[in-house]
Amino acid sequence: MEFVSPEGLRLDGRRPTEMRQLRAEIGNVAKADGSAVFEMGNTKVIAAVYGPREVQNKSQQMSDQALVRCEYSMANFSTGDRMRKPKGDRRSTEISLVIRQTMEACILTHLMPRSQIDIFVQVLQADGGTRSACINAATLALQDAGIPMRDIVTSCSAGYLNSTPLLDLNYVEDSAGGPDVTVGLRLLSCGTYGYTLGPMD
Amino acid sequence: MEAKPSTANLVDKIVVPGDVVLDLSSMTNQTIKLGGGLRQECDSVSVIKAGKLRFSKPNKYWVESSQKRYVPCVEDTVLGIVVDCKADNFFVDIRGPTIAFLPVLAFEGGTRRNIPKFEIGSLLYVRVVKANPGMNPELSCTDASGKAAEFGLLKDGYMFETSTGLSRMLLSSPTCPVLEELGKQLSFEIAVGLNGRVWVNAESPSTVVLVSNAIMNSESLSAVQQKIMVDKLLQRIK
Repeated sequence: MEFVSPEGLRLDGRRPTEMRQLRAEIGNVAKADGSAVFEMGNTKVIAAVYGPREVQNKSQQMSDQALVRCEYSMANFSTGDRMRKPKGDRRSTEISLVIRQTMEACILTHLMPRSQIDIFVQVLQADGGTRSACINAATLALQDAGIPMRDIVTSCSAGYLNSTPLLDLNYVEDSAGGPDVTVGLRLLSCGTYGYTLGPMD
Repeated sequence: MEAKPSTANLVDKIVVPGDVVLDLSSMTNQTIKLGGGLRQECDSVSVIKAGKLRFSKPNKYWVESSQKRYVPCVEDTVLGIVVDCKADNFFVDIRGPTIAFLPVLAFEGGTRRNIPKFEIGSLLYVRVVKANPGMNPELSCTDASGKAAEFGLLKDGYMFETSTGLSRMLLSSPTCPVLEELGKQLSFEIAVGLNGRVWVNAESPSTVVLVSNAIMNSESLSAVQQKIMVDKLLQRIK
C-alpha cells in the first residue's frame, strides 16, 4: 500500500515532516488539582493530576522525596471496535511505567518529601501517537497543578515508510508494519536531553 | 538550547518551567533574592512553576502563579476545616499536602481547663505558625502577640473554594475592584484564606449568593470588566 504518494503527500494530505493539528486545554477536571486535554489530530487524551497529598500506602512513603504514580488507560470507546479490557493489560502497564519515569525525571520530588503525586491519563480517542499525547497532556496537567518541575517534556512519534521518514504517525501509518519510535524531549534546559521510548508498538 | 542573555525580556511575562531568567555568570558581586517559583542551578536561575515573572526593586524576583493547591507558608492566614480532635491537637484540613495541627492551647487565654470544643466540620480562621516540607504544618488561633484578633470559629455564612491567585487578589491593597463595587451597595462580611477558601456572611441569603458569584466570576477579569460584571449582577436584584 502506498503511504507516501509520488508527489510527497501522505494519506491524510500531510507532508512527511508535518505534524497534525494540536489543541490543548487546561483546567477541565474540576475536582483534580491540575488537568489538561490534549489533541493531536484525531487522538484525544485527558490527564488529571492529584497532589502532592498524603501517601495512601504508608509502606511506599519516601522520607526524602515525593512518590509519583501514574495510570494510563484507554476508554472503551476510544478505538474503532469497543475494547474489552481498558486497563491492566501489558501495554497499559508498560505505558504507565514509561510516563511515570518520564515525569519523575522532571518533577523536583525532593521539595515534597513524604507525599504522593498521582497522574491519571485516559485516552478518549485513539488515532496513533497516544503515548506522545499522554506525555504532553501530563506535562500540562502537572503545570496546572503548580507542581515544581525542572522543565517541560514534549513528545512526538516518528516512523519510516516507503523509504521516507515520517513525523507524527496516525493509526493507519502506525499499524503499517514499519519501525517507529516515540521520543520525549526536555525542551528548555541547557543541553537537550532526549530519551526514546519503546520502538515497537 | 542557549540561555537567554537578557533578563529584562521576561519580567512581567508568562514563563514556564525550564525558562532561564538570569545568567549569573554575567552578574558579579550582586545579591539577588529569589522568591517562589525560581531555582538556582549553578550559573543560572530558572523557573520551576508556570506563571508571571515579577521583579521588585532592588533585587527581588519571583513567579506569581495561581493554583488550586495551597503550599503552607509561615504567617499565612487560612481557613481550615476541623476533621478530628485529639488530646493535644485539633486536626485541621487546610487544602495542603498534609493535615495541619492546631494545638489545643493556641487560643487567647487558653489553659487546660477551657479547651474549646469544635465539632467536626467547623470552619476556622487560623494562622500558620510552622510549615516545613514533609512535616505537618502547625496552626494557631492567636496573632504573634497572643491576642485573639478575629481568629477562631466562623459561624453561619457560606464557604467556597477558589484558586490561590484569586485569594491574593481579594486581599491586595488598594481594595480589589470587585469588593469595592459590592461594598458600595451591599453590606456583608468576608474572610479570605490564602489557601483559596473564602467565607461570606450577610443578613439575607440572596446577598450571600450574589457576593459569592461575583467573587467567583472575577478571577480573570480586569478592573473595568469586574465593575461591569458587578453592576449587571446588582441590577438583577433590583
